[in-house]
Amino acid sequence: MAFQASLSVTDGKATIELIGELDSSSAPKLHEQIEEAIKSSAELLELRAVALTYMSSAGLRALLFARQKMGETGAVVLVGAPEPVTRTIRLAGLENTIQMSDA
Amino acid sequence: MGHGKVMNPIRVPASVNSLGQVADYVRKLGQLGNLRDDASYRLHLAADEIVTNIIMHGFREGPGEIEIRGGVTDAQVWLRIVDDAPPFDPRTINHEPRPATIPPAERKLGGLGIFLAFTAVDDFEYESKDGLNINTLKMLRFRVGRCDKWDTASV
Repeated sequence: MAFQASLSVTDGKATIELIGELDSSSAPKLHEQIEEAIKSSAELLELRAVALTYMSSAGLRALLFARQKMGETGAVVLVGAPEPVTRTIRLAGLENTIQMSDA
Repeated sequence: MGHGKVMNPIRVPASVNSLGQVADYVRKLGQLGNLRDDASYRLHLAADEIVTNIIMHGFREGPGEIEIRGGVTDAQVWLRIVDDAPPFDPRTINHEPRPATIPPAERKLGGLGIFLAFTAVDDFEYESKDGLNINTLKMLRFRVGRCDKWDTASV
């Protein structure tokens, strides 16, 4: 499925809805939305991943990019990611770096 | 690869725009071999990472093509990825587990995709022959119990 990443911002919270398959071809779309979210000066970036059906290491890099861009005071939370995605994050040893929560 | 069913190979340009086509091929192969969804996902991940690595590194100097072919034997689903980029054996990349205790700033992301590929598949073979890199990924069709590398590698 073609990947979609759509950003909305309300009250200091940026939300990016992730839909479809996140690989090296679709990751630039997510990077763009993360850049936009940073510009909004949001303190919390929520990545909603309920409809994220696939994520490769390109997605991990995007998550780390978001984490670094949000800085020390900002938070990044991945919400509702399916099991293979959360497992990939744990396999990469990033579960302490990328905050995850249920939907 | 012995007896069994074989899918027609595809040749795709060495571009990330080909990854969707690779994904579709792997999905069809998984269906042909009656792979469970989780095994099909893992094969997709491994194929994606190996192909992406060939695109980003193997063919970074110029254009190229990658051949994908797959088939099903009694016990396994296999996927073969062939390119004529300079010889590169993915097994030489560190694919030890990545402890979560390493601070993010000291974390090296290089090789992460190859690490995931190795962890995802049940078997991996590499051969350099006649100027070709030949990567073969294998998944067991009828696994009893879990895939230890994938299911327990979180440390």
